[in-house]
Amino acid sequence: MNGGLFFRQLVRESRGSRGRLAFFAACLGTGVAAVVAVAGLSGALEESVRSQARPLLGADLAVESFQPFPAAAESAVAALPGTRTRSEELVTVLYEPGAAAAVEGAPPRSLLVELKAVEAPYPLAGELRLEPDRPLADLLPPDGLVAHPDVLRRLGVAVGGDVSLGGAPFRVTGTIASEADRLAGSFRLGPRVFVSRAGLARTSLAGFGSRVTRRILVNLPEGTDVPAARRRVSALREQLDGVPGVRVESWLDGQPELRQAIRRTSRFLGLVALASLLVGGVGVAQTVRAWIASRLDALAILRCLGVTSRETVLLYGVQTAGLGLVGSLLGAVAGIGLVAAVGHTYSDLLPPGGLDPWQPAALLRGLGLGVGVSVLFGLPALLAVRRVPPVRVFRHDAEPLPASRGLRLAAAALLLAGVGLTAWVQSGLPRVAVSFTLGLAASALLLFLAAHALLRLVARVPRERLPFALKSGLSALSRPGAGTVGSILALGLGTLVVLQIALVQRDFSRQLTADLPRNAPTAFLLDVQPDQWPGVAALLSANGATRTLSVPVVTARLTAVDGTPTAELAKRRAGDSRRERWALTREQRLTYMTELPEDNRVVAGALWSDPSAAEVSLEEEFAGRIGAKVGTWLDFDVQGVPLRLKVTSLRSVDWRTFGINFFLVVEPGVLEKAPQLRLAAARLPSAHEGRIQDLLAREFPNVVLIRTREVLERVAAIATRLGKAVRVLGAFSVLAGLVILAGSISAASARRAREAALLKVLGVTRGGVATALAVEYALVGLVAGLVGTLGATLLAGSVLTAAFEVSFRPSPLLLAATPLAVALLAAAAGLAVSLRALQVRPLEVLRGE
Amino acid sequence: MRTPLLELRGVSKELPSGGRTLRILDAIDLSIAAGEFAAILGPSGSGKSTLLGLMAGLDRPTRGEVLLEGEAIHRMTEDELALLRRRKVGFVFQSYQLLSNLTARENVLLPLELTGQAGAGARATELLAAVGLGERGHHYPSQLSGGEQQRVALARAFGTRPPLLLADEPTGNLDSATGASILDALVRLRSESGTTLVLVTHDPAVAALADRRVHLRDGRIERDETAS
Ligand SMILES: Nc1ncnc2c1ncn2[C@@H]1O[C@H](COP(=O)(O)OP(=O)(O)O)[C@@H](O)[C@H]1O
Ligand SMILES: [Mg+2]
Repeated sequence: MNGGLFFRQLVRESRGSRGRLAFFAACLGTGVAAVVAVAGLSGALEESVRSQARPLLGADLAVESFQPFPAAAESAVAALPGTRTRSEELVTVLYEPGAAAAVEGAPPRSLLVELKAVEAPYPLAGELRLEPDRPLADLLPPDGLVAHPDVLRRLGVAVGGDVSLGGAPFRVTGTIASEADRLAGSFRLGPRVFVSRAGLARTSLAGFGSRVTRRILVNLPEGTDVPAARRRVSALREQLDGVPGVRVESWLDGQPELRQAIRRTSRFLGLVALASLLVGGVGVAQTVRAWIASRLDALAILRCLGVTSRETVLLYGVQTAGLGLVGSLLGAVAGIGLVAAVGHTYSDLLPPGGLDPWQPAALLRGLGLGVGVSVLFGLPALLAVRRVPPVRVFRHDAEPLPASRGLRLAAAALLLAGVGLTAWVQSGLPRVAVSFTLGLAASALLLFLAAHALLRLVARVPRERLPFALKSGLSALSRPGAGTVGSILALGLGTLVVLQIALVQRDFSRQLTADLPRNAPTAFLLDVQPDQWPGVAALLSANGATRTLSVPVVTARLTAVDGTPTAELAKRRAGDSRRERWALTREQRLTYMTELPEDNRVVAGALWSDPSAAEVSLEEEFAGRIGAKVGTWLDFDVQGVPLRLKVTSLRSVDWRTFGINFFLVVEPGVLEKAPQLRLAAARLPSAHEGRIQDLLAREFPNVVLIRTREVLERVAAIATRLGKAVRVLGAFSVLAGLVILAGSISAASARRAREAALLKVLGVTRGGVATALAVEYALVGLVAGLVGTLGATLLAGSVLTAAFEVSFRPSPLLLAATPLAVALLAAAAGLAVSLRALQVRPLEVLRGE
Repeated sequence: MRTPLLELRGVSKELPSGGRTLRILDAIDLSIAAGEFAAILGPSGSGKSTLLGLMAGLDRPTRGEVLLEGEAIHRMTEDELALLRRRKVGFVFQSYQLLSNLTARENVLLPLELTGQAGAGARATELLAAVGLGERGHHYPSQLSGGEQQRVALARAFGTRPPLLLADEPTGNLDSATGASILDALVRLRSESGTTLVLVTHDPAVAALADRRVHLRDGRIERDETAS
């Protein structure tokens, strides 16, 4: 066959099957749309986060420390070429000067703000627009202050008015019109306020115990390309590796934590999309099977006319791949549309740049997986094309010869490999891909065995005495060419995949939206001097605060783990993530207590169990990060005093309670004499929050009150929305899966229409024919549903929960209902197809053959 | 004597049926000369269609040899057989066997296109006119009557001027008048092209037109009469 004829014949072959082929495209398109949408969404999100990273950081790179910079850091930074500037950042309270006692209902006299002290030039990257429109340095004399308009509004102060900050008076010289380094929707404790560094020096804010983040911002010289910048950054990191408490950030890293979170969620959604794709694949397999079954006569004629089997296979293979491409293209377009729609709907939660729905990598992935799935899932059916016996022109019922065992095994192996590859691409986790594929293969085997067991059972049932419908339904199952095994396999795998999404998304979204604990603190008090605590506690309780709790905080530096200096450990772990090395060298916060809070659980060792040593209890993940176990000795430098502690227990902490928790808890009797502050938490009545803040501001000006109610509510709102999004996507996949499954049952049962007509010719009533069909399909559905449910439960319970740390609690009702629902679905879908045949006069159906 | 176009030597066809083997054809020896018109007669189930299938390489004999123009087709692979049919064998069936998703004209065109003959379009037009369907080329088989469908099948079978034409009860599904006109067309086209024709029928009137009558019963040749 030459190319022109081949193409003409392609088009001709599709005539009369176009409805079926459209269904094929729709099955695949649904899966591809999900794949493209998820990949596109995460790609667009990451891209947007990355593009925000430089303005967010405010420079090419930043060197950061909570302490004044050590000399080593200073000299390393001094050696860098380019422009530099310094900033100090802290959360503090801004007061209206001479604030009188707070009056209920009156505007608050104090406000928690995010203070940034800067020097010219600032910023080095990103835009900062002010009102009046002048450079920041001009507006910031030592007593000048520029604030977000919210500050002025909430304190009732105008530009030119006076405020007080850390005990020093400032004059408001301007407001911030827009600031690039604040991500919309990012975690904020208060509005932004700028002063000059000289201005900060006039206050008491940078003294002992305050949490000042010091940054040296550096812009590399104009024209430094990305690889060169990367080299600079890693060289600097290497230089500062051993310097405790100093870390280097650069926009090239682009918010690694956020990107990590995006990736994790997109992996989960990627698996949901994979499930949609696989259900689509099942639909494809069934459609191709039915399509080819309806073309067997034509294939036999073609063979008779001298078309070779290779040519027919190619004809149908290319047709399948072509349809796969068309379906995938349609799906890809839908996927792009979905990304755009999400970008539009959630614009308030997204970075200001919005999302770019045009993600070529996601498109390619969707098209590649779509075409691959269509060919692989079509393959088993295509094998039949090769073996259509030309004698079929004489005998209509001559079925395709079964392909050789080797070929069938090869096709199955290829299909399995394809599924594994797809799972890998979608989850990004080889481990998950392997177990997912093996689980699917095991389920397929189980289904195969169950189908054969059913057939054997049906053959054993003595049928003579059964009512006609049952008898004919049962015999239809086991007659040659009924395709019962194939139907059970397809339906069972489809059930498995769909149910698995339903099960996992339920737990995943429940976890996201889990009610925030009702007794979570709504405020934290930082920097309380120990002798101030009784007064602060009295003030709180006088104003209705409940669940008041305070713990001592001692800052210290970890110097050695089992005698090995941390600087050396950090160097040895150069390959680990910076976060892990950072755990070793940063400033540690220790507390001491006799009994652990409720949300802590000892998972190894025993609390305060060694009378001969000063003991410390570590949070288990932190212990992993610094490489400590029960029995490890840790050396600390507690503000100049060495201290040696023995790890005698590890704890797990439920961080979701939002309570006060520490990585390091020390045995009582060790740290009482060390310089320390107290950290307190309480639930404040929301009506009194402003007054408590004002009172604290007046009587204990060094204490920082952080109100978390708003943050908690925000977190809850975001989690609720995310949970909803996961549920919607999951429900969409389940629904699409059901439609596809119903459709593929119909596709496979189309040729039953003829039999229904024949039965009617023979005098069987419509009711009788319908019951026979219903019995047959319901049995297929029941077996498929049972095995599919079993497989889904096992797979969801093992693979997905392990990969996503979701606690798996399947609903027994769902598990029990699924097989019945599948049986009903199968019976209904089977009947739906035969409906026409049941209604019209039999002759029409028989003639229309 | 002319060289045989088609030669069957000791051809048997057996099929496993339940635990036993079912013998459909039993040691058939038959030689068809080039240009000959042979009718195969026999009651239903006597193995006529099976024999025709073996002649065309649509099926394989259990034992024996089938030679077409001296080539041993029982040894060919499926694809070699397909290519052989493309060039050398035309078919007409009792149930027409048109491709339902192709128009009448496309059905006639397909074998011509497959052999890559020049002027395929003109030849298709000519053939459709010859069977009296010049105006119906754009119709699909479902839009044609049985007789018309069989005419299209005739046009398709003669298109590539195959040396051998096999016809399996071509009038079996038609009323006698229509059947007669189809038979007319078949005989006319055959004599114009000089094609060797093997025709299966159980209608003695049809068989009377043939040069030779081979009677089949229970898978054996019962009688082989050559017209005088
Ligand atoms: N694939 C097959 N399976 C079982 N029996 C067959 C098969 N092919 C042919 N037969 C049987 O062989 C006999 C001859 O069939 P056939 O050649 O179609 O007869 P005819 O065309 O003469 O009516 C019939 O009894 C038929 O049932
Ligand atoms: Mg026959």
